[in-house]
Amino acid sequence: MVELDAGAMLRTQETERHYRQLLGQRRLYSVLIIIGLLVAASASLWFANETNAGKFFDRIPYFFDFFKDLAPRDGWEIWRALFDLPSPYDDGSLQYNYPVGRVYLIGPVYLPEYFYKMIETLNIAIVATMFGTALGFVFSFFAATNVNSNRAVRFVVRRFLEILRAFPEIVVAGFFLVVFSLGPIPAIMAVAIHTVGAIGKLYFEVVENADMKADEGLRAVGANKVSRVWFGIVPQVMPNFMSYALLRFEINVRASTIIGAVGGGGIGEQLRLAISRGHEAKTLAIVLLLFTTIVAVDQLSAYIRKRLVGEQAFALQGALA
Amino acid sequence: MLSLTNVTRRFGTNVAVENCTIEIPAGQMVGIIGKSGAGKSTLLRMINRLIDPSEGTIAYGDIEVSTIKGAALRLWQRDCAMIFQQFNLVPRLDVLTNVLLGRLNHRSTALSILGLFTQEERASAILALEQLDITKTALQKAGTLSGGQQQRVAIARALMQRPKVILADEPIASLDPRNAQIVMDSLRAINQRDGLTVVTNLHTLDTARTYCQRIVGMQNGRIVFDGSPDDLTTDIAREIYGAEGLKEAFSETMTSTSLPAAPATAPDKSASNEPVKSRAGEVAKRMTDAQLVT
Repeated sequence: MVELDAGAMLRTQETERHYRQLLGQRRLYSVLIIIGLLVAASASLWFANETNAGKFFDRIPYFFDFFKDLAPRDGWEIWRALFDLPSPYDDGSLQYNYPVGRVYLIGPVYLPEYFYKMIETLNIAIVATMFGTALGFVFSFFAATNVNSNRAVRFVVRRFLEILRAFPEIVVAGFFLVVFSLGPIPAIMAVAIHTVGAIGKLYFEVVENADMKADEGLRAVGANKVSRVWFGIVPQVMPNFMSYALLRFEINVRASTIIGAVGGGGIGEQLRLAISRGHEAKTLAIVLLLFTTIVAVDQLSAYIRKRLVGEQAFALQGALA
Repeated sequence: MLSLTNVTRRFGTNVAVENCTIEIPAGQMVGIIGKSGAGKSTLLRMINRLIDPSEGTIAYGDIEVSTIKGAALRLWQRDCAMIFQQFNLVPRLDVLTNVLLGRLNHRSTALSILGLFTQEERASAILALEQLDITKTALQKAGTLSGGQQQRVAIARALMQRPKVILADEPIASLDPRNAQIVMDSLRAINQRDGLTVVTNLHTLDTARTYCQRIVGMQNGRIVFDGSPDDLTTDIAREIYGAEGLKEAFSETMTSTSLPAAPATAPDKSASNEPVKSRAGEVAKRMTDAQLVT
């Protein structure tokens, strides 16, 4: 132990007392915050239940009715619906007319209807991601503080990006559906517009985190702005840009499915029709196809992103060494 | 002739460079020495116009460097190449492309962006790498090179600008003694062979004495010494660095070039540099003590 004189002793005690006081205060605040959150949560739940048409506890016994209705007449029906094979239950109604939807390619070779529609949806997502990413790429440099020193332009571009991503795709799609009528074109436009807004923001944040040493080097060479951005910044941010673009593609696949349900074409439209008409085999076939596709897209994009980021980590190590 | 007249730079209320006047004739090799924060970097950056001066004029021949803008400024920056402590290369691009980027101001932006460099440009880039003995790294990513190699790539890029002046801002401060010597030798060769003006900031006295015809000492933003290496006595050095700083100026072996164990021939990976560094440190310290005694 260190020998303390009276003054030091007093200061130590004083610090100890102050510390205890602060600790007590912090605990009191924590308890108050937790109580507040509990009150808010139960009030919200009560309000939601009150404003709902049926009461939660009254309706809960019907929870599994939907799934009971979804059960097909036999398990093979799902596969028949998925691959457009003739059904033994075919009675001329829409419910079992699977082969009608076949899309013939060459001779007897055909693409099942839902696969075709799934491709339509994926196509919406791909085209929208390409256009959205390209425009977001351009806007991001105008919005980044370290590239664009003009405050007014930055402000305008940033607010513009905010507006683009403020409206959900489905609202924008609703507007374009009126103008361009049903089909994938309005869906592509809606998804692309939202993508520009969202990607533009993510990209300009990446640009702002870029190391400016390379840029300074090129400035000292006498390079103009475009060259400086292209050679000094783009090589650095590209792996992150690609990673975000792939992530956005995953999101856009889901978005185009939903837009399909409001008339934007593709698999979403088929799903909505199948559910509302009570075609259980068709519904299950579409859900299965959707599930498989989305998992596949996510896995693929995660794989590519991992490789990109891994490579970047390697390059960074090299720069530090 | 590069001439600075009453050049001052303020950052807020802080004066980084105060009322500096200096004339540098073409073809001279000048070393600027001083403590950290003496304003060496700011002075150099103002000459290249990475920083604008608050007051005073900088002129090169009949070019009014301190007031030009836009394309004229970029032309001046092309003529006045800069080498940085941290190399400032594009780490993710290969060495050859990095060197070719020195040509950016000589050609159309569209062609550059499409990556269309001419055969002559590529040939002279490889020649520049050859001069600095790093041709074999040409296709590696610049970021994977050692510090000494990166600095030589930066010099090659500077040469591709076909400059009239080369400014070097602490070019050897991040390098081990052997690489520091290679880099300083290259700068001296450029100065003597090609007749380029070289202005370099240096942390250490011995390097400045060994390589420069003329030494400028800075303290708190002002030029306090300007003369030949022989005029720089220990008393003046003590004034520039302060009594404690003088020791530091000698013993910072990381930036010293005076005592490499082996002559500079080929670049090598840094595995063997550790003992060299510490030995150099020992000797430098002894030398400093000896100097202080005398």
